[in-house]
Amino acid sequence: MAVFTFLDWFWVGLFLLLMLGSGILFYRLGKRSESDFFLAGRGLPWWLPASSVYATHTATDTPMWITGVIYKNGMAGIWYTFFCGWAAISAFVSTRIFRRSLAYTQAEWNVVRFTGLGSELLRGWMAGWQFFMNMFVLGWVGIAMGRVCEYLFAWPTWIGLVVFSLLCAIYVLAAGYWGVVMADFQQGVIAFLVIIIVSVWGIHIAGGPTGILDKLAVLGELDRINPFAFTGWWSGDFPIAWFITMMMIAFLGGFGMGTTIDWYVEAQRIQSAKTVRDASYSIWWGTIIGLVRNSVWAVAILAFFVLFPAITDQSEYEMGWFRLGFDYLPAGMLGFFFAAILAIHLSTISSHLNLGALYATRDLYQHYVNPKASEKRLVQVGRISTGILLLGSFFYGLIMEDITSWLIFALWIMAAGIWLPNILQVVWWRFNAWGYLSSWIANLGFSWLVVWILPELNLIPHLLDYQQFWILMILGAMVYFPVTLLTKSEPMDHLVHYYVMSRPIGWWGPVRREAERRGLIMSNGEAMPGADQASRPSDTYPKAP
Amino acid sequence: MIRRNWSANEADEWTKEDWIAIILSPACYVLVTLGAALSILLQVSGYIMLAIGIVLTILVHLVIDPKLKAISNEYETKQQTYLQELEAKVRWETTKKNTS
Repeated sequence: MAVFTFLDWFWVGLFLLLMLGSGILFYRLGKRSESDFFLAGRGLPWWLPASSVYATHTATDTPMWITGVIYKNGMAGIWYTFFCGWAAISAFVSTRIFRRSLAYTQAEWNVVRFTGLGSELLRGWMAGWQFFMNMFVLGWVGIAMGRVCEYLFAWPTWIGLVVFSLLCAIYVLAAGYWGVVMADFQQGVIAFLVIIIVSVWGIHIAGGPTGILDKLAVLGELDRINPFAFTGWWSGDFPIAWFITMMMIAFLGGFGMGTTIDWYVEAQRIQSAKTVRDASYSIWWGTIIGLVRNSVWAVAILAFFVLFPAITDQSEYEMGWFRLGFDYLPAGMLGFFFAAILAIHLSTISSHLNLGALYATRDLYQHYVNPKASEKRLVQVGRISTGILLLGSFFYGLIMEDITSWLIFALWIMAAGIWLPNILQVVWWRFNAWGYLSSWIANLGFSWLVVWILPELNLIPHLLDYQQFWILMILGAMVYFPVTLLTKSEPMDHLVHYYVMSRPIGWWGPVRREAERRGLIMSNGEAMPGADQASRPSDTYPKAP
Repeated sequence: MIRRNWSANEADEWTKEDWIAIILSPACYVLVTLGAALSILLQVSGYIMLAIGIVLTILVHLVIDPKLKAISNEYETKQQTYLQELEAKVRWETTKKNTS
């Protein structure tokens, strides 16, 4: 249990004042309109959403997870942190295309790219799924904070979960995305500084870089600094086959939208950037700052490993980076460290509160319940949705241990069977709403079979992660390719309009030729004057409910 | 070799500058991440990787920035029209306009 001095509590109090100040300062901006409450009026320079990308993806459980993979695999474990590598390509491909669509959410993008009943089913499904997922992430991250407080102050777990999420909700309810992004900037700076300070301190305690290397040599573990120390081609904890699969999923996923769960958060940051260029740089730089942070963390975890090399209990060694801070920082710095953990925590909570509320307000309430709602009403609904998410997250957080394995399964099915469809929807003109919808449904069924049911019945062996991925991808393709080709393509009017607006990459030949034939794009790619007006769809949208 | 001046509409096309960025950008991520970690551990391989990563990062931005600026300038002129369409869509007004 940690003992805080006055100086420690001073740091914590000062930080909380700064965060709540964001809510008060930006209250007037946040309440102006739906666009302000959820996208900061689409006017942010690249470095603000970039800091939000970084801050949001530095959650309370992130150091635990990274500590786990580095402690177990050595520097080779750093490859696991490249799940965010999709941003490398996305920044110059799908980010650019998505920003041009102007869709508030990925759910809304479905009705920009597709049309008719299929697109509405996709929008409704994705909005509901994302509302639920944000509530789940809030519970997941909240309970991680509860455990940190339990470790530090011996508080019951629910206190850490409830108290800090409630404080965060004050500025999210007041200022919406304006409050989120401004607080994220402060939180990102504080968190990055403290991560560096604590990690460097931990490295120093372990004897500095040379001390770490010497101790690894004594332990016979020098291979731990080799990022390419895999366990063979096909088997072991970390085979090359898994490495290749992971890199393919991560980097090539950047051609698509939604290939990782993080996309849905970044989509909001992309649309809040003031131009296409700002959107691209926000994603690129926000992600690489996170990767550099992972590098520093990785060395600090090696330092922890040489200090405590024999821990076998995963839940114990996952707390390694926190222990470097709480066990070794000098007096007066403990509160600063805790304030940084709060920064890490609040940035994630605030983003998911606002994002979940965006799906509920824009895609469910406004589109399906009250299409004529005023801007004032939409902001009100945004605030009510934020409150519902907050309460739901407490519920999920408190039952988290019972449902974690099920929800990890749910996340996994999002990654495997629909990875390729998420790319196809961007790069292939012929892929239609029914093909995409069928890929979600097929993936749900196949995942249960391949991951749980068939192995339990001993009909197939328990498969490694990369084996599951490839099998799910192939099985899914056997459904969505026939469905796509056996159903009609999206109407050409709609596709031409989408093409002229978004200029997607990939196989769009027939649509492009049609756009040229109609005089909307010249053959050298130049758009004709007034092309945006002329390409509007005429009769392709479904009737109002 | 690398085009620095773009007319707004030419920049909308996917060109070799885009593919240079697409190919080099993942290499930047990998080299900077591994390079930073191994440099902290005082490994020569880390210094080399980090240096190459930084050079590639600068190169990517030199190549793609003029194009992104041109795309952004061009798109901002059309954005308001597209936003109005999006609002009409979320409010189901497109159908009414078409049927009236």
